[in-house]
Amino acid sequence: MEVFEHLATGFMAAGTLENLLFCLIGTVLGTLIGVLPGIGPIPALAILLPITFGLDPLSSLIMLAGIYYGAQYGGSTTSILVNMPGEASSVVTCIEGHQMARRGRAGAALAIAALGSFFAGCVGTVFIAAFGPPLSAIAQQFNSPDYFALMLLGLVMAIVLAHGSVLKAVAMVLMGLLLGLVGTDINTGLTRYTFGLSGLWEGIDFLPLVLGLFGIVEIVRNLENPPPPRETISTRLRDLWPTRSEMKDAIPAALRGTGLGSILGILPGGGAVLASFASYTLEKKISKNPRKFGTGAVEGVAGPESANNAAAQTSFIPLLTLGIPSNPIMAIMMGAMIIQGIQPGAAVMTTRPDLFWGMVASMWIGNLMLVVINLPMIGIWVKLLSVPYRLLYPAILLFCAIGVYSTSTEPFMMVLMIVFTVFGYVLFKLGCEPAPMVLGFILGPLMEENLRRSLVISRGDPMIFINRPISATLLVATVLMLCLIIFPQFRKTREEAFQEE
Amino acid sequence: MTEQHLKLTRRTLIAAATVAAVLPGAAFAQSNTYPSATVTFVCAFPAGSGADVLVRFFSEKVAQVSKQTVIVENKPGANGNIAAEYVSRAKPDGYTVYVHSGTSTAANMSLFKKPPIDVTKALRGVQFINKQPFMIAVAADSPIKDMKQLTEHLKGKGGDATYGSTATSGKVLAEVYLQLAGVAATEVAYKTGPDSLNDIVSGQLDFAALDPVFALSQQREGRLRLLAVGSPQRMKSTPDIPAIKEYGLNVDQLGWWGVFVPAKTPDDVVMKLHDLFQSVLEKPETEAFLNKFGGDVYTGTPKEVDELLAKTVEEWRGYVALAKIPQN
Repeated sequence: MEVFEHLATGFMAAGTLENLLFCLIGTVLGTLIGVLPGIGPIPALAILLPITFGLDPLSSLIMLAGIYYGAQYGGSTTSILVNMPGEASSVVTCIEGHQMARRGRAGAALAIAALGSFFAGCVGTVFIAAFGPPLSAIAQQFNSPDYFALMLLGLVMAIVLAHGSVLKAVAMVLMGLLLGLVGTDINTGLTRYTFGLSGLWEGIDFLPLVLGLFGIVEIVRNLENPPPPRETISTRLRDLWPTRSEMKDAIPAALRGTGLGSILGILPGGGAVLASFASYTLEKKISKNPRKFGTGAVEGVAGPESANNAAAQTSFIPLLTLGIPSNPIMAIMMGAMIIQGIQPGAAVMTTRPDLFWGMVASMWIGNLMLVVINLPMIGIWVKLLSVPYRLLYPAILLFCAIGVYSTSTEPFMMVLMIVFTVFGYVLFKLGCEPAPMVLGFILGPLMEENLRRSLVISRGDPMIFINRPISATLLVATVLMLCLIIFPQFRKTREEAFQEE
Repeated sequence: MTEQHLKLTRRTLIAAATVAAVLPGAAFAQSNTYPSATVTFVCAFPAGSGADVLVRFFSEKVAQVSKQTVIVENKPGANGNIAAEYVSRAKPDGYTVYVHSGTSTAANMSLFKKPPIDVTKALRGVQFINKQPFMIAVAADSPIKDMKQLTEHLKGKGGDATYGSTATSGKVLAEVYLQLAGVAATEVAYKTGPDSLNDIVSGQLDFAALDPVFALSQQREGRLRLLAVGSPQRMKSTPDIPAIKEYGLNVDQLGWWGVFVPAKTPDDVVMKLHDLFQSVLEKPETEAFLNKFGGDVYTGTPKEVDELLAKTVEEWRGYVALAKIPQN
């Protein structure tokens, strides 16, 4: 029952009026940042960092954490409404969430995303409290070969993401891998495929790629084939809420997503992204009616949304227990802690229990606030869809442009965004889907790094992948997954199911 | 208008008084109004990185002493070349300031076949920030207790060893050590310290050359043992960690950070900026902050910064050849 004692300490520390206020500020700011496409949480946190210098350490961490999960949350709102993922983990939400919105179920999709995220957030909080330290010990067992195997499994799962032919999905994953090769080679420091453009030295930037491929292509598509005039969108509460059958589908998906996300979030590097993709794959695989995936399946929103929120919570575990930031956002949090004179790591739990448990408790409070703030706002968000296209589209374009430019203040990023818009349009015409490509693009560089490191460490002996139990297990899982895809009978039913769209 | 004017004058007076306190005599000759508008610090790393935190710390502190808004603009890319070139082309009025690793700025002259600017000619130094060494680390439970044992261990492995490195500075430190000790090991490159941790702790790597922020934090957590620092003497902030030089190997690698402005910036502006940084660097909280980053506070005149930059450029020509780093 130690856990409850700890949580009680935390709620005492986080429940002061001042801390509640900072939690509210953080979550509201985060939601706004998440809703505006392009202005991601990373630059926002970095800009706000100096403001926290003067605050009490706990208050400042509560506010920064609030911005982080608030932005995660707001990102799904734009994904659902206008098919615009602000960050990698909401790419999946676009697939089914936006389809739901097109069917007039935007309200339901938003509500499910909110409730799923809240549930996952609650579980994530308890998870950190109960299993944080032992779990981080497991994450520490992951060496380069194990990461390689994990990324390989992720890529194979990406193939299942697409609705069309397997061949096209594989081609898209490979295309993503190729795009991921652009940039500085880590082993030699030499640049690859940069064509002498300094803007490509650090690789292709994620934001112009994803905004071009998803957001702007969506606009072009709609201009080409104007969607049928929308019926007046009802904002009656009854129509905004998920129906009973939608809830019945969503609840088990949210449970599974939460489980997957909680575990994958602990792994450094792309945990939250992998979690949302993995959850989507799982839902599609076990669904009795996989036919509805791609047309707005509720499970495809509930699962990934829960998964990425759970992962967002548990990604604090490596930082709080090991002092290792698992993603760039955690790196900023670590910077904030160092500035406040706190060295992140296991010692925080014993030397500053009020701080450690206060932060854990504030995550739960923050998630509650998000639901309270956002559920009533669903009506307003949905109304946004009734804005005429002639006003909505230029506004979206403007926000995309500002977002892309402001992250690097390089005009080149705008050029990249235009290039990917054209590319995305060609893909759309060819019937290829961009989601598997994005996963290939994100996981590819991580996979390459770990492959090369493993082979240097083993002096070129590929047995290193089989001798290690973790990587061997993951590789077996990868092979099984591949068999499922290649197995002819499966392929036949799969094509029957998805070819007709 | 009048109010604006009054404000400016008062600010000038305060600034002049501050300068006078720091540098008696020299100050009154320079009666300019700089800084009287928003100052931009250019950071060559992406927002949120460890180095970005450092630049933002100084932006906050300089804003306090100068009573001006200081904003940070991130210009990451091309190993800092993009930011350096951007600053060199900015208006030389002291409002665009490059706060960056002098070591890295100098190293780029050798890491690239055609560096976009000659840093010694296009930039001028204002002030130092700190000195920080890279560190040699092994797993905390490794049988290797000091540099002598590490050298023995690598000899025993006969060239079959591996080491992890983060950043070019880590690679150069390791390669210089290997060369002087007469042993060999193959480099495994990592983008960041945390990426390398599991491979070090599990013993897959024989040793690692790591940045001080990461190395020290993981030593405190009991996962790494730090064998030596690359600086010629022990650091004030880490007196327990010996220098490699104490083992008879002539390793002298000390990374330093500095403040730079476009080359044509006038002397009085440079001096004013120098003094602003000086007063920040003298604060105890600045020392505490920099010590956490594994470095010692370091100050000097603009001329000393220019000289060290030129010296570092020359040193790195040798290192790049020695470590056989291919040029871009």
